[in-house]
Amino acid sequence: MKTKMITLCVNGKDHRFEAPVNRTLLQALRDDLKLTDTKYGCGTGECGGCTVLMDGKDNVCSCLTLAVEAEGRHITTVGGMTREGELHPIQIAFIELGAIQCGYCTPGMIMKTAGILADNPNPTEEEIRKGLDGNICRCTGYEKIVLAVRRASEMMDTAQTRKVGGMSA
Amino acid sequence: MNTQTYVGKSVPKLDAREKATGQAIYAADLNLPGMLYGKIVRCLDFAHAKVLKLDLSEAAKVPGVVKVLGPKDVTQKRYNSGVLDLMVPEALGEMLGDIEDQHIFTDYVRHQGDAICGIIAESEEIAEIAAQKVKVFYEALPAYLTAEESSHPDAIQFDARKPGNRAFQLPEQMFPGNGYGWGDVDAEMAKADMVFEETFTLPKVKQCQMETHSYVALLDQSGRLNCWTSTQMPKCVQPKLARLFDLPISRVNLVQTTIGGGFGVRLGMVCEPETCAMAMAVPGRPVKVQLTREEDWLASESRHPGKYWMKLGVKMDGTPVALDARFMASTGAYFTHASGVPFTTGSWLTGMYKYGAVRYKGEAYFTNQAPSGAFRGYGNPQTNFALEQIVDRACNALNIDPVEWRKKWHKGAGDDGWCIGVPYSSCALDECLDRGAKAIGWKEKRAKYANQTGVMRRGVGVSVMNHTSGAMPMLLEHTTCTIKMNEDGSAVLTLSCSDLGQGSHTVLKQIAADTLGMPMDEIHILNNMDAAGFDIGSHASRTTYVGGGAVIKACEDVKRQLIERASIRLGVDKEDLELKDRQVIARSDASKKLSVKEICHSGVYNFTNPANGETNGVPGQIQGYASHFPAHNSPPFGACFAEVEVDTETGEVKVLELVIAHDIGRAINPMAVQGQLEGGAHQALGMVLTEETRYNDMGLCRNNSFTDYKMLGPVDMPRITTILVEQPDPIAPMGLKSVGEAGPVNPVGATANAISHALGIMFTEAPITPERVLKALNP
Repeated sequence: MKTKMITLCVNGKDHRFEAPVNRTLLQALRDDLKLTDTKYGCGTGECGGCTVLMDGKDNVCSCLTLAVEAEGRHITTVGGMTREGELHPIQIAFIELGAIQCGYCTPGMIMKTAGILADNPNPTEEEIRKGLDGNICRCTGYEKIVLAVRRASEMMDTAQTRKVGGMSA
Repeated sequence: MNTQTYVGKSVPKLDAREKATGQAIYAADLNLPGMLYGKIVRCLDFAHAKVLKLDLSEAAKVPGVVKVLGPKDVTQKRYNSGVLDLMVPEALGEMLGDIEDQHIFTDYVRHQGDAICGIIAESEEIAEIAAQKVKVFYEALPAYLTAEESSHPDAIQFDARKPGNRAFQLPEQMFPGNGYGWGDVDAEMAKADMVFEETFTLPKVKQCQMETHSYVALLDQSGRLNCWTSTQMPKCVQPKLARLFDLPISRVNLVQTTIGGGFGVRLGMVCEPETCAMAMAVPGRPVKVQLTREEDWLASESRHPGKYWMKLGVKMDGTPVALDARFMASTGAYFTHASGVPFTTGSWLTGMYKYGAVRYKGEAYFTNQAPSGAFRGYGNPQTNFALEQIVDRACNALNIDPVEWRKKWHKGAGDDGWCIGVPYSSCALDECLDRGAKAIGWKEKRAKYANQTGVMRRGVGVSVMNHTSGAMPMLLEHTTCTIKMNEDGSAVLTLSCSDLGQGSHTVLKQIAADTLGMPMDEIHILNNMDAAGFDIGSHASRTTYVGGGAVIKACEDVKRQLIERASIRLGVDKEDLELKDRQVIARSDASKKLSVKEICHSGVYNFTNPANGETNGVPGQIQGYASHFPAHNSPPFGACFAEVEVDTETGEVKVLELVIAHDIGRAINPMAVQGQLEGGAHQALGMVLTEETRYNDMGLCRNNSFTDYKMLGPVDMPRITTILVEQPDPIAPMGLKSVGEAGPVNPVGATANAISHALGIMFTEAPITPERVLKALNP
């Protein structure tokens, strides 16, 4: 397979490496960079488990994105949500409201939430549910995830918290 | 000082922070030095075939391939990936007819996805390239997709030990006539004023845990087989691997990684045998195996599909004089849970109502589909779909309110339980029904939605359920627990109970903290399988009930030792001493006290004064221990109410609201209990409305992906109201009863009954898809 030297900016840090051009962003993150916080759930964009944030606002399934396509973009994974040990309000809301059970969908759910709130800081319940569509959770019935997204939006609103991942959104 | 208590509070999950930051380690996240990648090559083109020739030569030549393994390159021992053999006495196992019929790699394909050989390579990509170069020549055999087909006299026999491809029926020696129950069903049925008879068809539903099956295995330099796995039964998988590979248990190091959902699919071994066999072939090098989603679907177990025949006889006043039932389950390609599920399915049936007489027959037949196995509820959702609908049919015919009928005829405390001969210890079902009915507006909506004629029609339905907290006395119930007190008074709680995400470690720590009267953050849970003693595993909704009982006993053992030592040191009778605020204090004289920390510290740092030979305390580090066998199974009950809207033009069913009232005894962590009910409802609604693994005529799966197998999404899910009814069980630890397995049960029947209320049509086939609704409306 043809390879290309690329630089991926993940959670504010540049990583330069040689990637086969067919390498997905998910494979690059997990296998090349050993950043295993982003999860494989289906590899075909059906479950949203591998969702990351591009440039602080756009959600993509990293399994459907080629690593070479991600060059020049700011990629935020769930591992980039915490700053100096301080949790992001989305993470706090997910923890406190019981939106996490097995936790396997959680990295994708949190990044999806970041995308939803970047686009619409004050979503209604219906907008939250529509926004989360495409991210599958088999543990919670979505009930507490929906509540957590709502709580996160309130926390970010009132606390004037920093933007997701600190990117230039 | 510690005056805080934890039991009854919605403490966030212990591992939530790790999971929210992406730092929880699942098996596929492991990257060990020198790690190789294993690929299981599966038969994808046939559901039933003989392997005539397997040519691995081209695959072996691919640069980067380390080894290729065919059926003869691994142990020839057969196994059963299920664990019933470890849960019942040998004689009972023989009577139930459990057999070992699985091979690591096979030359006789019994379902699409059966494992043919294994490739070990330097990278996952190389392993996949090599897998493409494996040449297999098959002789195709006819595929049997239902029990009716495989039990045909001309059908090819899967296993000489199981004539007629009948894997299981209730054993004659235990149950004359191959059925259990009570009374003379035929005689009582003859006395009925009305009889309702129906055959229900139940779908093959997949657990769909989000983490696909993934493992790392390593035969290390000391000759130990290490296996990292997200199994929900670590202490059963460990001895099963030991037996399969002829090793003592002490040479199998089983490391339980974070479990990305289980719901029963990890009950027993899944692909641990294949992964370990590959690791055994390359000593000193770890081998990682991660299944793709499509592969996970084809290769791992599902809920048992089948036909459920049922006949209910009632008097005009509603008296259920007799119930006759027979569940013919498809167990799929291998035996696995062929005895357990068809056996237990009837327990929920006989355990529910006070029938005059009841008879249940359960059977399982081999088919050329992926094996059926354990799935949260273990036969209970199947029973709920059939029983609760036939009860409603009788209520409708007799013009009796379905809630009132259930209140009158459900079993309760003191009645014979789901396990015949073991009476129910408590039952709060009446309160569940009352509070649930009020919350959904039962009476008003029941009247309002009667006789609708418009395009959009609404209905409300009710369903009740019983379940269990652990499988005592039917199956082995045993959990051990050790609590080591550190020299500063903090503690390490060592056990092998699994946390699949439901939060069992959190609630066990809450229980420990309250029993010892200390803060949760000074207790560490150690889940190391070398260090921890036995626990049968996470199944039968048992972990909080049995694990909690073990934790309490081990904590009481610590308290006993603390008080004994304080008694010696203070010269006060043990009976006069109590543990309070992390001190042992004399009730008669509060000035006489010793801190827990001081007792623990002086036990470890115990010095002898050379001058007089005296020590500074009682020597020895304190450890509490319990090897706990519960006395009962304190069964929970529950009532679910559903409101639906059916579009009669499209056939679409929208669930508008669910009210779930659960008889929890005592909620140790209310938020976690709610989470179990809400998540369970998602699985139940999927089973009743959309979910079914489908096969074509060849036995090839048509929908082993999340696009083609429809689970409800966040938009599809209704608003869920949970009501936790807390009437403490008199026998249970802290009065608690189970919830996990109860989750996916009664929303099944409640939704089906709500649809029936909306349309006046009972659906006997699940899932109730738009196609089926339209077909029923336009026959």
